[in-house]
Amino acid sequence: MKHLIITNNPLVAEKYENVLWTDGSVEKTLIIVRDFIHQGYELVSHPLAASLRMLFSPYRSIIIDKKKEKLNFEHAQIIEDSIIKYKKHMDLRKTDEKTRDDYKKIDLLLLEAALSEEQGKWY
Amino acid sequence: MSDGFKVLYYVNQFFGQIGGEDKAGMKPEFHSEKIGPALGFEQLLKGEGQVVGTIICGDNYFNENKEESLEYILNLVKQEAPDVFVAGPAFNAGRYGVACAEISRAVAEELNIPVVTGMYIENPGLDTCKQVAYVVSTSDNAGGMRKALPAMANIAYKLGKGLEIGSPEEEGYIARGMRKTIIVEKRGSLRAVEMLIKRLKGEEFETEMPMPVFDVVEPALAIKDLSKATIALCTSGGIVPAGNPDRIQSASAQKWGKYDVSGRDALNAPDFYTTHGGYDPVYANEIPDRVAPLDILKELQKEGYIGNVYEFFYTTTGTGTSVSNAVKFGTEIGKELKEAGVDGVILTST
Amino acid sequence: MRLEIGRINITDIQLGNETSVQNGVLTVDATSLIAKLKEDDRIKDIKIDIAKPGDKVRIIPVKDVIEPRVKISGGNNGFPGVTAKPAQCGEGRTHVLYGAAIVTVGDIVGFQEGVIDMWGEGAKWTPFSQTYNLTVDINVIDGLDPHTHEETVRLAGLRAAEFVGQAGKDLTPDEVLTYEMDSIFEETNKYPNLPKVLYAEMMITQGLLHDTYIYGVNAQTILPALLHANEELDGAVISGNCVAACDKITTYQHQNNSAILDLYAQHGKEINFMGCIMIPEHTTLSGKMRASDYTRKLVKMLGADAVVVSEEGYGNPDSDLLIICKKCEHEGVKTVLITDECAGRDGMSQPLADTAAEAVAVVSGGNVSHVVTLPPADKVIGNAEAIAVLAGGWEGALLEDGSLQCELNAVIGATSEIGYHNVTCRAY
Repeated sequence: MKHLIITNNPLVAEKYENVLWTDGSVEKTLIIVRDFIHQGYELVSHPLAASLRMLFSPYRSIIIDKKKEKLNFEHAQIIEDSIIKYKKHMDLRKTDEKTRDDYKKIDLLLLEAALSEEQGKWY
Repeated sequence: MSDGFKVLYYVNQFFGQIGGEDKAGMKPEFHSEKIGPALGFEQLLKGEGQVVGTIICGDNYFNENKEESLEYILNLVKQEAPDVFVAGPAFNAGRYGVACAEISRAVAEELNIPVVTGMYIENPGLDTCKQVAYVVSTSDNAGGMRKALPAMANIAYKLGKGLEIGSPEEEGYIARGMRKTIIVEKRGSLRAVEMLIKRLKGEEFETEMPMPVFDVVEPALAIKDLSKATIALCTSGGIVPAGNPDRIQSASAQKWGKYDVSGRDALNAPDFYTTHGGYDPVYANEIPDRVAPLDILKELQKEGYIGNVYEFFYTTTGTGTSVSNAVKFGTEIGKELKEAGVDGVILTST
Repeated sequence: MRLEIGRINITDIQLGNETSVQNGVLTVDATSLIAKLKEDDRIKDIKIDIAKPGDKVRIIPVKDVIEPRVKISGGNNGFPGVTAKPAQCGEGRTHVLYGAAIVTVGDIVGFQEGVIDMWGEGAKWTPFSQTYNLTVDINVIDGLDPHTHEETVRLAGLRAAEFVGQAGKDLTPDEVLTYEMDSIFEETNKYPNLPKVLYAEMMITQGLLHDTYIYGVNAQTILPALLHANEELDGAVISGNCVAACDKITTYQHQNNSAILDLYAQHGKEINFMGCIMIPEHTTLSGKMRASDYTRKLVKMLGADAVVVSEEGYGNPDSDLLIICKKCEHEGVKTVLITDECAGRDGMSQPLADTAAEAVAVVSGGNVSHVVTLPPADKVIGNAEAIAVLAGGWEGALLEDGSLQCELNAVIGATSEIGYHNVTCRAY
């Protein structure tokens, strides 16, 4: 197995096999990703989406790579900064539950866009 | 003068005209008159505000009896219920600055009363209060009084009248670190191109988003053989011998202490406790080793895992302590440890 | 390359029986426009309306804003590679209905936001409160997959802009602006002593609702590409991005990219403006590394002394911005960055989570979390339910008098990262 998808999105969990289901919030998912990064796994996709509105999503899927021998400090910085940024927005704001089904779909589609970029790469 | 907004003023023993260093131990007092800078201050309020009294406290007394002084002063402020609280200016005076800062913060945060003070940019009290109070930028000595008071009074006037406070440049206060969203005349891309041209010409330009400057410390090389190494213990968790013999401040520390622990197996209660004012002390006071684990270090020494535990233990309080003081303490402590041949340090924070 | 933009000033808008401009009044024949757009059989229903500056009207959720234009000579009319056959953009003459805009409204997903208030407090925060807007509310047939749905809405907006733009075809413009630049070598010969400057425009290119197209090519699939400064000003770049309301680049803002225009204005005076590098923002870290490396290479190959870098979006693109900045600065190329920031509701937070000591010259488009209070509108164009989604952000967002508290991030173009708007942050 090459990649591991860490997700709290049931659509992703149903569709893919190499999934770690976090059974929790986006924040919990980010923290699980952080723990993996500190063990030496690398990020394949960035922990945050590209728009503010997606920050309010109740779902997030993040791809990580195989475990390396050494901690990747840049990736550790990225996931830590992402958690700070995420919390800064969500401390005062609720996730957007009314449209959760749409968020599930878009999270899946964005994940698939990332996976398609990574096709045929092995490093 | 019953109309208008009420201002309550704070000064130290010197500006309160009680006396110099010899009176620095005086307890806080309330005077219903306008004393020292408070006297001229009212005249600068455009007839719309009055100074209802002056609180005077000795700098040493405040710094050595912070909790007690703060409680007393906060009660006074509550009673007088001013619309604006004014402290200082403290210029570059360290103890006075810390007193103004601590009082300003407490009044602003706990009583929700707007506060104006004045300080020199390097005053150790600045970081404690600049986020919650308007700190007018002053010169480093009392020669700047005539410049500082009008600026402080102008802000006090606006706060008292509920008017909007302008930018730090316009009003003369030290930026509080607030990012205010505003609409400006020039669009962003034009500002970018103008900034670019200045940069290309080598002219001064000002970024709109200053990056925080982090002090990057190169990690030291790993200790090759721990079993031969001498390890020192150092904490910013405020653990001190009972009685706090060096009177290390409970917040905004001005000093550090070192204590011989060569004859001890642990930092046990009641011989040690914490003087730190920034966390719940119950668990630290039960077992001070929870904050500074001398017990474990001594065990490791017995097991031979480490060579030796350095005979002195170093301590200060981290809460509210200015970065400049922290850098100074670190440099001083580091120098001593290096000269003593210590190989490594366990630093604990809270 | 020489482009003439002929501005026909629009000072009012109305619906009528023909599509024309007379004395600055744009009249749109809604029936014909609807019939034209419904030639796409994926469209079920179209609602046309107008919104003028000062009207107590709220438009929500906005998908895109497009400037109505018509090609007079050179290239092809419309958006080559998308609604027209491929052709070179940036040459010849284009007429613009200056002051008018097509605003598309279309719910692709329930969480879309994007508010334009035409009056009052809200109007200050969006540049599109100042345009005479023709709103096109697009409903699609049932059963479309999300990609097809998005494409249908996107194309309908572009076609509407083409349809309305035809009104400017036979008119004499009020003003003609000329954008002319020869090859980089010729320009450098002309201005040998001026510093060579590039514009690096980052684009969201991450999948559905987060896409940008250049000549119809989904920019997610490209390496950073060099464009002549005229191309984007003439319809080469369109937006497929409809969730980052405050800091996305609408198609209108591509057509009128303020960073390009302000750099152009200094060309031959203070700088030698060489062109634009279009940079995809990837979701993957390897994509980010590849795009930033390739950008650095183009900057070096072209011998640039400085580069203005603009971002699109918020979150993972902040990483790209700083990586590009670092790589350019390390090559000795001076950068100026345009971005926005999140300093929290009270403005007291550290604005960036990611930081780089190299980012010494940064323009801020404002705090995305700044709270604005929008009074109730007399009329809502679009989907009033979208307001509820917006109000659902936190407790107390909907006030008793019907006013809505929302963060700037919901307002179209509020914190533009190409510097299109006048908002910024100052240290207080």
